[in-house]
Amino acid sequence: MSGLFAKTVRDQRRALIGWGLGLAAIALMYAAFYPSIKDSASDFDKYLQNLPDAIRNVIGGDFTTPAGYLRSETFSSMGPVLFLVFAIGAGARAIAGEEEDGTLDLLLSTPIRRRQLLVDKIGAMVLTATALATVLFLTLWLVGPPFDLTVPAVDLGAACLLLLLLGLAFGAIALAIGCATGHRGLALGITGGFAVFAFIVNALAPSVDALAWLRPLSPFRWYLDPDPLVSGITPANVLVLLGIAVAGYLVAWYAFERRDLAA
Amino acid sequence: MGTAGDVIVGDRLTKFYGHDRGVEDLTFSVAPGEVFGFLGPNGAGKTTTIRTMLDFIRPTSGTIRLFGLDAHHRGPEIHARVGYLPGELALYERLTGERYLRDFASFRGGIEFGHAGNLAERLGLDLSKRIKDLSHGNKQKVGLVQAFMHRPDLLIMDEPTQGLDPLVQQTFYAMLDEERARGTTVFLSSHVMPEVERVCDRVGIIREGRLATVSDIGDLKARVRRRIELHFDGPAPARAFENLPGVLDVRGHGDELSIAIEGSVDPVIKEAARHTVVNVETHEPSLEDLFLAYFGPNGEAPADDTSGGGNPDPGGAP
Repeated sequence: MSGLFAKTVRDQRRALIGWGLGLAAIALMYAAFYPSIKDSASDFDKYLQNLPDAIRNVIGGDFTTPAGYLRSETFSSMGPVLFLVFAIGAGARAIAGEEEDGTLDLLLSTPIRRRQLLVDKIGAMVLTATALATVLFLTLWLVGPPFDLTVPAVDLGAACLLLLLLGLAFGAIALAIGCATGHRGLALGITGGFAVFAFIVNALAPSVDALAWLRPLSPFRWYLDPDPLVSGITPANVLVLLGIAVAGYLVAWYAFERRDLAA
Repeated sequence: MGTAGDVIVGDRLTKFYGHDRGVEDLTFSVAPGEVFGFLGPNGAGKTTTIRTMLDFIRPTSGTIRLFGLDAHHRGPEIHARVGYLPGELALYERLTGERYLRDFASFRGGIEFGHAGNLAERLGLDLSKRIKDLSHGNKQKVGLVQAFMHRPDLLIMDEPTQGLDPLVQQTFYAMLDEERARGTTVFLSSHVMPEVERVCDRVGIIREGRLATVSDIGDLKARVRRRIELHFDGPAPARAFENLPGVLDVRGHGDELSIAIEGSVDPVIKEAARHTVVNVETHEPSLEDLFLAYFGPNGEAPADDTSGGGNPDPGGAP
């Protein structure tokens, strides 16, 4: 394990504990609400049937089963929001943040290559995001059953994996923009804006024909369709999200190797 | 230009930022064990040159080689032998000094930490404090220890004494003298004369992105003009000073004389000793004085010959 990788993980230790606790608390809260929502599920479903398709696409629309509830409450809303905020922040900070802080110069005045720096930073990002996904999985898996919120561990694991990959994909985009421009704010803004746009496109595309062609370009398209909580792992979805992440890392590498660093 | 064993060789090094000039056509070399000063006003291109040496930025044209290796293609090998102190020091504020230095020791492949501890002790630096709680001067010390701790063969320092209090400056100079005795090559940039005069063997003067001249420190001292104010206990004996060697101009008012001298101040001091002197004030020569000495009142650079500078005997001077 390189010194830089260790340092990067160590720097995130406190943030990671905070995020992990927050994520676990939210998962616990969702689990605890399940019994009462399930009891009034038929009312909910009637209400949902009256909503426009686009909104129903976003929130899922089936509260009667544990899988439907988890999909709507955890994996369609809070889950992606938290993972994207964490991953985009980490991606923007990794290189562009250090460059803006001025700490990158001394780091690169040591024998560490730019490529190695990037590998260590990416490794730390993947490790911390994986830790968060694991926390989410373990919490739902352990506290779900007492509240009748039970889905097969394999399916729950598949959903957590796809959430992790979605986060890594957006984190990689932020990293690439940061590496290409050296501006953390730009990486945050463009990636955040793209995430919102991609989310909306994916939600509206099924009911708006004009948007249909855009949908495959949205990373969200490859996240919950088909629903991992019902059908487990879909290899194509894993590959696409992984592909976006790897492409982002390669663009980051290409750009970072060639660029003049800001003083 | 230069010889095979030179530690730094710039060959027509040119860097443009879009249309903005960074440096142009720099050709110079620094020999092993030499302390080389890069002197010029802010914005002249000193930091640009240093950043190409460390491969933070890439030349638009020309090359710069360290230890005979291209700065861009052989970065890691070069960096293992270089200690660097940036002009604008940015550290990881949340770490303690010790954690910071141990991290950098590990980035350098796990060098032994003892020397870093000794240096910190010598500088009076408390390594247990978080960097964010340190004064500006103490942060600068962390930067210095970081640059010296792996006993580099080449020290590259951008305005090293900026922000150091005078006492620490003396320690820094002592550390530099030891490095020199050990055979370390030093490249430092500065925009103030005294710093360069104090430590350098040779000086390159950079102005508006071009190397105006490279000269031995002795030559620089001989050419530079400074002004001495002498305050006597009676009417000032202006006449006695007017024809002394090196004296360019004597202005008197009452008990005071203001004397402009080129080169050694010795004749003036010897003459002053014959009178009763109440007070002496000397003004450190400014860069403007130096440019005046080298390039004359019109400030024109020496003829733009093909070497692009690096000529130890420039014309231009009066």
